Amino acid sequence: MLNDAKILVIDDEAVIRDGCARILTKEGCRVKTVENGEAGLDLIRTEDEPFDILLLDLMMPGISGMEVLDAVSRIDQALSVIVITGYATVESAVDAMKGGAYDFIAKPFTPDQLRIVVERALERKSLLKEAENLRNEREKSLRDVADEKSRITTIINCMVDGVLVTDRESRIVLHNPAATRLLGIEGLQIIDESLRRCINNEDLARAVTEALDTEKSRYVEISQEITSSEESGKVFLRTNTAPVLNEDGETMGSVTVLHDITQEKQINDMKSDFLTMVSHELRAPVSAIQQQLSVIEEGMAGSITEKQARMLTRAKERTTGILDLIKDLLDVSKLDSGIVVQHKESTVLQDILEKVCQLMEPEAEAKGIRLNLETSDHLPLVNADRENMEDVFINLISNAIKYNVEGGGVTVSVLSHGEFLRVDIADTGIGIPKKDLPRIFDRFYRVKNPETRTIIGTGLGLPIVKSIIEAHHGSISVKSREGEGTTFTLLLPRISE
Amino acid sequence: MEKMPRVLVVDDDSDFVESLRMILENRSYEVITAYDGVEGLRKAKEESPDLIILDVMMPNKDGYAVCHELKADPEYNSIPILLLTAVASNIPTTKYTQRMGMEIEADDYIDKPVAPSELAKRAEALLQ
Repeated sequence: MLNDAKILVIDDEAVIRDGCARILTKEGCRVKTVENGEAGLDLIRTEDEPFDILLLDLMMPGISGMEVLDAVSRIDQALSVIVITGYATVESAVDAMKGGAYDFIAKPFTPDQLRIVVERALERKSLLKEAENLRNEREKSLRDVADEKSRITTIINCMVDGVLVTDRESRIVLHNPAATRLLGIEGLQIIDESLRRCINNEDLARAVTEALDTEKSRYVEISQEITSSEESGKVFLRTNTAPVLNEDGETMGSVTVLHDITQEKQINDMKSDFLTMVSHELRAPVSAIQQQLSVIEEGMAGSITEKQARMLTRAKERTTGILDLIKDLLDVSKLDSGIVVQHKESTVLQDILEKVCQLMEPEAEAKGIRLNLETSDHLPLVNADRENMEDVFINLISNAIKYNVEGGGVTVSVLSHGEFLRVDIADTGIGIPKKDLPRIFDRFYRVKNPETRTIIGTGLGLPIVKSIIEAHHGSISVKSREGEGTTFTLLLPRISE
Repeated sequence: MEKMPRVLVVDDDSDFVESLRMILENRSYEVITAYDGVEGLRKAKEESPDLIILDVMMPNKDGYAVCHELKADPEYNSIPILLLTAVASNIPTTKYTQRMGMEIEADDYIDKPVAPSELAKRAEALLQ
């Protein structure tokens, strides 16, 4: 306990000085002794490492103990002073205690008494130190919190994208200036207001509600395009809304990031206008040329020689190539700009499947393929864009028919699968080679072999399907065996009731 | 001798019209022509054709509008219409979505450019 404590003894009596030094050194203390107040104060002032405890005689020649005590309180407040009273007079001890001394010991004292009183002073000192540390730490962490808060505020205020944070009751608790600007409510005081009340945007409000209603520990991100009006006109925003979860996975609120895509939209519109123009202006003459070539080729404009016919066939192949290229160009533009999920609504997927199957029936029949739809009652609803879903199933079922064998079958089945609605599209077709499987969702990838050579396609169908499914927070996977068939499995999150 | 079936070809591309004329005349059809939607509509009403081959993308009035107007008119809605689509896509999507999205008013569709034999086959089927 006394280990390594640094102690100063000021006493004019050598017996006391030596006695104290002997007793305390034995306890492991580092002890220094001086015989008067002046020397003591000098030492206190000059020592690099401060003393922990001062044993101070009150009655000394020269400056008195009380004066030393007074000076010490000005030099080092942390120094604990124990006064040594010569006559065991309580009054002088009381005065000293009033003057800032911590304790006193009356002469004559036993080694144990000294040890006890020093021990007690050291104990108090370490307690004080601990309290001080705690206080400092607390101040520091408060400062950190304030720093962190101001840092976050600075960061989000600098952002070009809007940030909107709500609590569990969808009241706005934090936002940046960009958010209010993009939503056209600049300058309004919206903190603590309900989101639905102060931001007149149903889509955004719905996304926030949906994010807040998310089941425990399930992270979702709701991405959509919304429009809002600003002074300068209509603004298109892409918003991402997600729940904010605490350590236990409970939803504490929501955060929405708003990204201005007005310019992208304009550029995209221009691009698609341009592509439409190209398609018409380029496609029309090429297809007219092709038409003329086929008329000549078939001898409808007068008889031709065999050599001429061969050349015309070649020429037609070339124009067909150009037309395919134009088609690809337009398909790419569709892929780049087209996958926008805008009209998600609660949907009975079986209805869409029934309609699509009906539509594909003639195509299946023409190839002698049985097309079955297996569904049941009471299947969960999904949040889906109807048109997108039609695209998806037309693509997949059409593939299942195209890459099938004469007399084969396509089975579409819908079932409930935990949190998901699951759709399997299984065919008895030619299957996909193992080496090609990982790449079938890549753009422009087509499985090339003698069986597929005659099948027309750009290889854009599956990437589009995948993009659509992912935009619905779902997933698509494929299983296939060469020569036996292929099964695509879609999982779409069900709407929780 | 049996009367030759009369086919009205409506397309803004005169070269294309010329090609179709050759294919059809080769099959012994009488061909009359129009070069935009408005003219096409007028001729459809005046010349009482047995079949209309109608391009979709045309100035003034597009093929869908012409088709819609004729099919809505009880006097002309029995004239079969073969719609020439140049909507570029070999993803089946576009075509089918279009079909589902709007009422199927035309009697048949065919993509431009067309193989002469295919055009003849479709025309013949519609004239039955």
